[in-house]
Amino acid sequence: MRLIKHSIERKTGAGSATLLPEEPEDMWHAYNLIRPTDLLRASAIRKVISESGSGSRSNERVHMTLTIRVTKLDFDPQAAQLHVSGRVAEENKHVKLGSFHTLDLELQRNFTLEKAEGWDSVALDTLKEAVNQDAKAQLWAVVMQEGLANICLITDHQTILRQRVEVNLPKKRAGSTDHDKSLHRFFQTTFDSLLRQLDLANPKPLLLASPGFTASSFYQFIKTQASNGANKPLQQLVPKITVAHSASGHLHSLAEVLASPAVTSKLSDTKFARETQLMDRFFELIRKDDARAWYGPRECELAVERGAVGKGGGVLLISNSLFRSQDIRTRKRWVKLVDEVKEGDGEVRVFSSMHESGRRLEGLGGIAAILTWPIEDLDEEVEGGDQDEPAEDGADGEGDADGGVDGIEGVTGHDEEIDFL
Amino acid sequence: MQRVKNLGYDEDELYDNHDEYEQEDATAYTAEDKENFATLTPVIRAELDEAGVQVSDKDIEDALWHYYWDVGKSVSYLKNSRTPRLQQQSTEKSDKAKAKSKFDEAAERSAEKAVRTTMPPMFAADWFRNVSWTLVPSHVEGDLIPNEPVRPMPKLLGGSSKLAKLAEERRKKAATAAASQSESPAPNGSLSALERLSKPRDAKENEAPGPKVEPKKYPIRKKRDPTPPPREPTPPPPEPEEEKPDLRASPTAFGLALSTSPPCGLHPASMTLKDLLGSEVADDPFQGPSPDDTVLRAQQYSKGTPNKRRQSGVNGLAKKTEALKLNGTAASAPAQPKVRSRGLDVPKLWAEEKSRRKASAAFVVIGHVDHGKSTLMGRLLLDTGAVAQRDVDKYQKQATEMGKSSFALAWVMDTGTEERERGVTVDIAQHHFSTNSVDFTILDAPGHRDFVPNMIGGASMADMAVLVVDANQLESGMKGQTREHVLLAKAVGLKRIVVAVNKLDSTTPDAWSRSQFDGVKGEVLKFLRESGFAEQFVTVVPCSGLSGDNVAKAPKVSGPAAWVANTHPTLLKALEKSVIPDIDGATIRRPLRLQIADVFRGGVTNPVSVSGRISAGNAQTGDSVVVQPSGETATIKALEVNAEPCDYAFAGQICTLHLTDIDPIHLRTGDVVCAASHPVPVVKTFTAKIEALKSLLPQAMDVHLGRLHVAGGIKQLVSTVDSEGEVLKKKPRIVKAGQKAIVKVGVEDGVVVEVGDRVVLRAEGATVGFGVVDGTA
Repeated sequence: MRLIKHSIERKTGAGSATLLPEEPEDMWHAYNLIRPTDLLRASAIRKVISESGSGSRSNERVHMTLTIRVTKLDFDPQAAQLHVSGRVAEENKHVKLGSFHTLDLELQRNFTLEKAEGWDSVALDTLKEAVNQDAKAQLWAVVMQEGLANICLITDHQTILRQRVEVNLPKKRAGSTDHDKSLHRFFQTTFDSLLRQLDLANPKPLLLASPGFTASSFYQFIKTQASNGANKPLQQLVPKITVAHSASGHLHSLAEVLASPAVTSKLSDTKFARETQLMDRFFELIRKDDARAWYGPRECELAVERGAVGKGGGVLLISNSLFRSQDIRTRKRWVKLVDEVKEGDGEVRVFSSMHESGRRLEGLGGIAAILTWPIEDLDEEVEGGDQDEPAEDGADGEGDADGGVDGIEGVTGHDEEIDFL
Repeated sequence: MQRVKNLGYDEDELYDNHDEYEQEDATAYTAEDKENFATLTPVIRAELDEAGVQVSDKDIEDALWHYYWDVGKSVSYLKNSRTPRLQQQSTEKSDKAKAKSKFDEAAERSAEKAVRTTMPPMFAADWFRNVSWTLVPSHVEGDLIPNEPVRPMPKLLGGSSKLAKLAEERRKKAATAAASQSESPAPNGSLSALERLSKPRDAKENEAPGPKVEPKKYPIRKKRDPTPPPREPTPPPPEPEEEKPDLRASPTAFGLALSTSPPCGLHPASMTLKDLLGSEVADDPFQGPSPDDTVLRAQQYSKGTPNKRRQSGVNGLAKKTEALKLNGTAASAPAQPKVRSRGLDVPKLWAEEKSRRKASAAFVVIGHVDHGKSTLMGRLLLDTGAVAQRDVDKYQKQATEMGKSSFALAWVMDTGTEERERGVTVDIAQHHFSTNSVDFTILDAPGHRDFVPNMIGGASMADMAVLVVDANQLESGMKGQTREHVLLAKAVGLKRIVVAVNKLDSTTPDAWSRSQFDGVKGEVLKFLRESGFAEQFVTVVPCSGLSGDNVAKAPKVSGPAAWVANTHPTLLKALEKSVIPDIDGATIRRPLRLQIADVFRGGVTNPVSVSGRISAGNAQTGDSVVVQPSGETATIKALEVNAEPCDYAFAGQICTLHLTDIDPIHLRTGDVVCAASHPVPVVKTFTAKIEALKSLLPQAMDVHLGRLHVAGGIKQLVSTVDSEGEVLKKKPRIVKAGQKAIVKVGVEDGVVVEVGDRVVLRAEGATVGFGVVDGTA
């Protein structure tokens, strides 16, 4: 994403920024930047019906630039498309004020974003990250086991499942070669699907991971294909393949694979490496029953309130899905929490909910903290606190049921379902 | 030339047949052929001399010619044809005849053929009669039998000995020659002898039409022979059926209707059937030839002249289709009868047969990788006779070629290509064997940690477990998958366990060290006790899979393993003792539940087959079932238990269901086949009461439900509980290793779960918890 121009006031955060999305992943950044109630100005095509004096109607498709006040966002990670719905905020000769429109943000077309509440620290950080032009690591991975292959694209901020191949393989059976045949067919299908996804002209590293021998067999299969066929670009892909071991063919095994030294040495994805390290440290602490590690919204809030996430090792781990809440108040609550930690010289790590490490955090409710000093029985205090706030109790239970997330609307809705799978 | 490859001495007949058509072609070898003869004949002669077989050059050349210069085949053919056998006489005779034939006989034969074209009409009609005998549709044949109760089947002709056959043949020939002027041309000597030899084969081939094969032969030969003589089959001489006077009674209306319906009037089949029916249903039974005459003729021609047969051969296929068509219309049967339930009362049958039925049990073989599970099972199968020594010898040879001769026994179980190459079991292998009192099913589990999912699937189908422990490496054993497997065996609800302390033949310093065995035994028992296995359900047996001592047979009294015989039962005895039937009538009366362990192609007639263990209820042919989670319905076409077809199966059995009316795309390993009336609901979250082996947080995991292995995870820690189920703490932050807890488990795709199902949770390649499904929401 390129920042074309911006006029954001330091103090109040008021102002706007004009951005140019250049690659699919920028849509993900835009998805994290644009919030309901923001003003978004972008080019649009709208069907205009004009009625002449005689009563005859004519349809016309008109290119125009529209400004809308955002009400809803819809992100499709597979196609990397962002649809922003809202009500028109600036009238022009074709469109009336207040009529509804859905803007489809397009690559290589500017859009201008103005925050209703002003740009807060989290939004500014997201913006900074979005316009960061550092080399972007991209990697294809196939996580597989016999009969199942997940083909995915791993970027700095996302893991996108592009295709899943699922084939039922007959089990081994004396005197029958059905298993071998089906396995070969499974490899062929996976290989074909993979080729459809890859850009062979400009091959990215490819990671094959599986338990047992499946990945290495598949690697052999690709090698054979490359040496047999006249597909020259395929031969360039072969040296870029890494074979690794994973515990299963399911996608969540990818975290383990990506953290393994065999892969990290080949990946320049330092952001991910840092995040994984932090997550591992957190899990390590909590397994040891160390009272410095806590997860869950209430617990973390309480800890931050007491200043326990501060100088000297305090880290707040937070998923960016929390900031995507449709509800402004909820979003503000998390922004406030982040600001508080920063004021206390604590470290804040915003994880991408679509990346592997972020997904582990999601399981814990999207937020976790490593405290500077241990606080025992934080959860019991939270339970006590619950009774003080009966109004929020209901929401609490609901959130837990749907994904262990407290009081974050929009996380549990369909919004989040598009994230993956 | 497929037939040549398959048959021993039958080919002579074929060549004779060739000669009929290719009289000119076969006469001369080309220069190239001759050259080949020159080079190859000495080679073969050397080979044969070595084997002490005397053969003429001519024979060698013939053999080479017929095997297309394949020295190996020619040698084995010649050897076979010369080795002393019962049939030697006739074989030699035929060989000699053939030695002469090739060229001379071709001329003879052509002369015969000339004679034959002017055959009297009677003869042709008889010939059709002959065909009809072999092609009679089964229902028509049934009609015939009462009229001719003594009609001998052609293939029984001549009794057992070839000589007897020959005698009978001569006698018959003489008789028929007198009876009928329309005697067939006296078959030349070599022919008749050969025919008799090929006789049973011909009879057999009537099922899979023999003559049909022949037209194919020529193109093939052309392709392979570098200097092919032109070998287009000359069209068979026109069949003179039209000019023939009908010697039979005029057909009945029914017969006419049947025979005129097929479109192809010229085909002999229609006439055959007409004649047949006509003669049988005729008003005047004496109008036609007597049944005896018919029989005689049938015999004459069915065994008689392959020439005739060949004439019909071209039309053979068409005739068959014709006959089939007639058959179909006459029976007016629906094309595909739907599978109909026989309405068996399976629980009642079960109760009735309970006392008579042999006990059956399935056991899963568990243990660390390379502790010899597969080899031990291979040994068990070999010693109980479920696998032939011949097969094991074959594996031995192949394994030695790959440089892993000690894996030969394991190959009985490890049939996969990859498994053999790497010497590691990958998937569950299923095998049956029977002792006098029990039918056993072996489920041989992989020991490697990457394949634990498969082991869980296998264990979920078993009634008990056999834990194989290497006596020499207890250290690695108890730490590795031995530990995990034992816990998983408990997790899937197995209670009885037989511990086989393996590889005692290679203990150091001396084999069958008793102290070492006792040491291992102590360790294992201690661990099993800690894991929650009751002592009365555990048996420890010393054995050696590779040598076979104390597996099925007790070791020799004199050897170092003598102490075993007095103190410990063999593994097989221990297994038999551990079998306790634990299926009750109530389980069998419940609705059907079967988790699919494998979806495969059962064969041409059964394109869709699934196998698995019936966990509840019963199934019988014709039952309509629902496969969850796809929700597709199917009908059980047939059932198999222990590879034997049967009418019904019940809970506790591992069976194969052949399904119809379903696309295999809806069937996956881990799906559940359930009674159509009681489909199991599909859920995405459920609560389970689990025991943590490692600390648990809400996180992504692999969820195992028997054979099913899906991505999912713990969504929420509901509470930790004590062993009585009392809640200790609500919403715990973490469930620590060893604690019991109620958790909410979510899965990415809908799964079939019922309260009481066993669930295993794994993360990062290790088992982190297991338990029982508590509720499905």
